[in-house]
Amino acid sequence: MKFSFARGPSLALAQKVNLLAEHAGQIGLLFFDLSLASIRLRVSSKAIFRQVYLIGIQSVPIVLLAAGLVGIVTSQQGGYQMQSSLPVYIMGSIVVESVILEMGPVLTAIVMIGRVGARITAELGTMKVSEQIDALYSVGRDPVEVLAAPRVLAMMISMPLLVALANMVGILTGMVSAQYTLGLGAERFFYGARLFWHSYDMFYSLLKAFFFGIAIPLIAVHMGLRTRGGAEGVGRTTTESVVLMILTILVIDAMFPPLFLQ
Amino acid sequence: MSELTKKIAIQYQGIAKAFDTPVLSGIDLSVNSGEMFALFGPSGTGKSVLLKTTLSLIVPDRGDVLINGESVYFGNPDTLNTVRDIIGYVFQYAALFDSLSVAENVEMGLSERAIKEMGLEAVQERIWESLDLVNLDPGEVWGKFPAELSGGMKKRVGIARAIAGRPEILLWDEPTTGLDPVNTAAIERLIKQLSEELHVTSLLVTHDVEGGLEMCDRVAMLEGGKLRFCGSPEGFRNSEDAVVKAFTDRRAANAALDILDIR
Ligand SMILES: Nc1ncnc2c1ncn2[C@@H]1O[C@H](COP(=O)(O)OP(=O)(O)O)[C@@H](O)[C@H]1O
Ligand SMILES: [Mg+2]
Repeated sequence: MKFSFARGPSLALAQKVNLLAEHAGQIGLLFFDLSLASIRLRVSSKAIFRQVYLIGIQSVPIVLLAAGLVGIVTSQQGGYQMQSSLPVYIMGSIVVESVILEMGPVLTAIVMIGRVGARITAELGTMKVSEQIDALYSVGRDPVEVLAAPRVLAMMISMPLLVALANMVGILTGMVSAQYTLGLGAERFFYGARLFWHSYDMFYSLLKAFFFGIAIPLIAVHMGLRTRGGAEGVGRTTTESVVLMILTILVIDAMFPPLFLQ
Repeated sequence: MSELTKKIAIQYQGIAKAFDTPVLSGIDLSVNSGEMFALFGPSGTGKSVLLKTTLSLIVPDRGDVLINGESVYFGNPDTLNTVRDIIGYVFQYAALFDSLSVAENVEMGLSERAIKEMGLEAVQERIWESLDLVNLDPGEVWGKFPAELSGGMKKRVGIARAIAGRPEILLWDEPTTGLDPVNTAAIERLIKQLSEELHVTSLLVTHDVEGGLEMCDRVAMLEGGKLRFCGSPEGFRNSEDAVVKAFTDRRAANAALDILDIR
């Protein structure tokens, strides 16, 4: 203990801060190792493709379902809020902008945390507590190259594509929903959307996706590899990992407007 | 390098390791080339930790390991790769890769360099041979996954993986714990046979004291973070140390409960 005056709540806080710094440091090192492995072409492309299939392609249905529902909700709630105070075609802009700037990337990230992040942590955690990670080292393989890198790279590739898909579907269902509930036709919907459209917004959306695509698997792998304590440890670490991933995504999301929308 | 150091395959020098509490406090131990060496000790004394420091799976707080005279922790950074190449490690619970088939698991025992050099056919042959050496029917288990195997079969596949690269040194972490007497006898015969056929140096951690004393050239006992005994099997049998006695004699074991403060 470094500070003798740190007791009770302040001690707990100090420990939390310490732990956070430890996580951050270890994740930084992991990122460095991953970059090194990728630059040196030490990562099997077959393994990457396999993970793109498991992580990216298999997630398409659930991501599309979530995006579709978000489009519908945004359009209906937007319509309710505005009630006749503004021209109805403004709905086009509201749906497109909220889906592209916020809901598409963030909701896709949350879905992927549940579907992929948790799975990576549990899988690597189980390998850790059953000595499979040790076994990998013992046969001269590096778990960062064999396990971590294909997952992180696959997620970096998949996230922007999934978010692009989610954006399209969210806008589409938002438009259809506006047609049925507000009587807003497709043409006037897109007229409204174009009024406030910057093509930069799509870039902004995909940039978010890219960062989320790095953060999620990085945390998932890191948490998995530091798992200890049998089946119970795997359960506990997976929960902690999901919480950490969600918080990190929200913090990154909150940093985006001041950094990239000025 | 002198003749003398050349003959020592594994040399632990003052290995110390603490986690929350001290586990190992300065272990000095040498295993000679070609020797079969048994390490006994109560559960939780750090036998696995000691074995793992050999391959840097756990890094000791102090001390060093020399493999064929080369320092694992303070030498050339490439030494560790070589060491992992020439040492086969048999894990306590087999630690097979769940997502890989039996054949793929055994193939992992070969280094990437070896796989490239040998070519597909020779690799397949080596996998077949290795499974055959551990008395598994290669044709039967080849494509199976670890979840489809019994405990004894898993251990054998784990051994096949450890010997696939034809190692100079084998580290065995309780290869017979949790097996029935028949399987225990079979695995023990296998250990002896492999050590002889493949001319490997074996360091064997085991709870089966009788088996260990019978098979091994020398034995040691780890207890309380220190080596409590190191010497010949006869010396172990005749030792007057109460804790050592507990391992050869059930009545002495009861007496030792008090000495070791176990409830
Ligand atoms: N990676 C680890 N992290 C923390 N503690 C560990 C770790 N590995 C082993 N230990 C602890 O070290 C002690 C010795 O463990 P081990 O070497 O597995 O004992 P055994 O002699 O039964 O093989 C145990 O108390 C165990 O909890
Ligand atoms: Mg052990």
